[in-house]
Amino acid sequence: MNPTSKRILTFFWTIILWSSVVLHSPSIAQTPRAADIAVVVNADTPVTDLSLSEVRNVLLGERQYWNSKLPVVLLIRAPAARERDVVLRVIYQMSEAQFKQYWVAKIFRAEAAAPPRIVYSNDMQFELLTALPGSIAFVDSRNMRAGVKVLRVDGHLPGEKDYPLR
Amino acid sequence: MRRRVPVLAMMFFAISPAWAQSPPPPDQAEQIRILLERVEQLEKRVAEMETKPAAAAGVTVQAANVAAVAKPEMAQATPPPGSAHQHETAEQQTASGQMEVHYPSLQIRGFGDVDFSATDQKGTTSGFNLGQLDLHLASALSRKVTYFGEMTFNAQPTGYTVEVERSIIRYDYNDFFKLSFGRYHTPIGYWNTAFHHGAWLQTTISRPDMVRIGGTFIPVHFVGFLAEGNIPSGGAGLSYSAGVGNGRGSIISRPGDAGDNNNNRAWVANLYSRPVRLYGLQMGISVYRDKLTLPVVTPTGNEFREWISAAHIAWTKENPEFLAEFANVNHKNILTNAITNNQAYYVQIGYRLPWFEKTLKPYYRFEHTHTPLSEQVFTNQDLVESILGLRYDITNYASFKSEYRNTKRLLTEPRVNGVFFQTDFTF
Repeated sequence: MNPTSKRILTFFWTIILWSSVVLHSPSIAQTPRAADIAVVVNADTPVTDLSLSEVRNVLLGERQYWNSKLPVVLLIRAPAARERDVVLRVIYQMSEAQFKQYWVAKIFRAEAAAPPRIVYSNDMQFELLTALPGSIAFVDSRNMRAGVKVLRVDGHLPGEKDYPLR
Repeated sequence: MRRRVPVLAMMFFAISPAWAQSPPPPDQAEQIRILLERVEQLEKRVAEMETKPAAAAGVTVQAANVAAVAKPEMAQATPPPGSAHQHETAEQQTASGQMEVHYPSLQIRGFGDVDFSATDQKGTTSGFNLGQLDLHLASALSRKVTYFGEMTFNAQPTGYTVEVERSIIRYDYNDFFKLSFGRYHTPIGYWNTAFHHGAWLQTTISRPDMVRIGGTFIPVHFVGFLAEGNIPSGGAGLSYSAGVGNGRGSIISRPGDAGDNNNNRAWVANLYSRPVRLYGLQMGISVYRDKLTLPVVTPTGNEFREWISAAHIAWTKENPEFLAEFANVNHKNILTNAITNNQAYYVQIGYRLPWFEKTLKPYYRFEHTHTPLSEQVFTNQDLVESILGLRYDITNYASFKSEYRNTKRLLTEPRVNGVFFQTDFTF
């Protein structure tokens, strides 16, 4: 083997070794993707599919009724929950302070009678979802339970490629 | 032998993923089990912290605090006996509390401000003054009926006056039709119904002159009924409000709270759009029609037709914030048919700076009001004003504002320069 061939072979193996090291590094290969946040409603709510802008309208209090007889009941996790972070970032596009100010202003303008109800745990969230007609909440898709309805957002369910809430 | 080394290395890296994904040996499984138990304990502790009253009061729990909770020494701390049971009981109580709906469910919120002003206008003095103390009431009377009220306490040289700013009872049929009766802020333009008397809600210290409290350019208040709701319009996001009421009273800055001063009702219609694709944008138009009966009869009569047409555009996100509003007030003397047109507009721009935890927001507003010399209903309201200011949000519920204003009223009067400070809050 001539020296040039040796150099080429060495370069080739070096590339393979570095690629293997990079591909096997924990930051890339072992970091799990954060779970999608499912939009979940009480099972009797007459809706199965909402666009992201419709979800935003519901959360902003612009849409307050599913129909004439069924008001929307908004449930939102307490600060520090990941579900709340995703809802504020993707849907409201507000900081925590802006979110609080938004609801103070909304009630002050007589556009809503009360802010969203705060839920402090997943158990409490599902308890309220099953008990309150018209309720809507945002749940980590890994923690789903029976007895509620998961909505499609922009035609996608949690876990699908283009699902927007993650 | 030398050729085998790279081959072996490649095999090692090719096999390693399979090795990484294969079931862990028994000692690792035990470690994972212990770690999962720790995670479970941590989750319980986080849930306990979330159920604390501080969280209920809306105190922001920063991500850093969550990280602190996750410290190993805290995770290893043995929970006190019976804490899991206590946690479950507290959670059930909170959940059942959230499920119960009481009517009426009164909520009270207050707004207040303290101000300081100093100008170079002759004959004025600098000093502090107590702004409006504003109480807002919201109470659901049933699933579809809600009461809203707003009262202000205003400092006067001889004491305080109390004013009922709004008192509204509203029946919601659905999102497309809500009917209410009472005393409102007239839905003309944007500012008058966006910020009401809550100084903390608005970026600047004061309202624009055209919607000034106690001002006359547009009728700030309205007594009557109002229908409002969304209009099915897809991405246009249209909404409306339309109402009939008493209109301006004998004192034209006030509505006819205790009764109209003529047999003509005023009406107002407001149409606005919040486009779906441009979240944060609002555009709208308003019209208002009334017949004014002034208390003083002059040779040219005391009755006028009033037409107000207004338009607004608002970009409510704060990077940047942009508000602009225009109104034309047309008066027609019923006896002489003499017509006058008064115009006012403002443009306001602000920007929430990305530094200092986004607490700073510089802003600028330009205002212009024109009343013709032939105007018979209004006294002269001519104004050209520039306001340059800075808002600092001390907390989520209080701010400090400082402004420089340059104001010119009449052509014959000099420009007035002034500095203004305000701290405002909600509670």
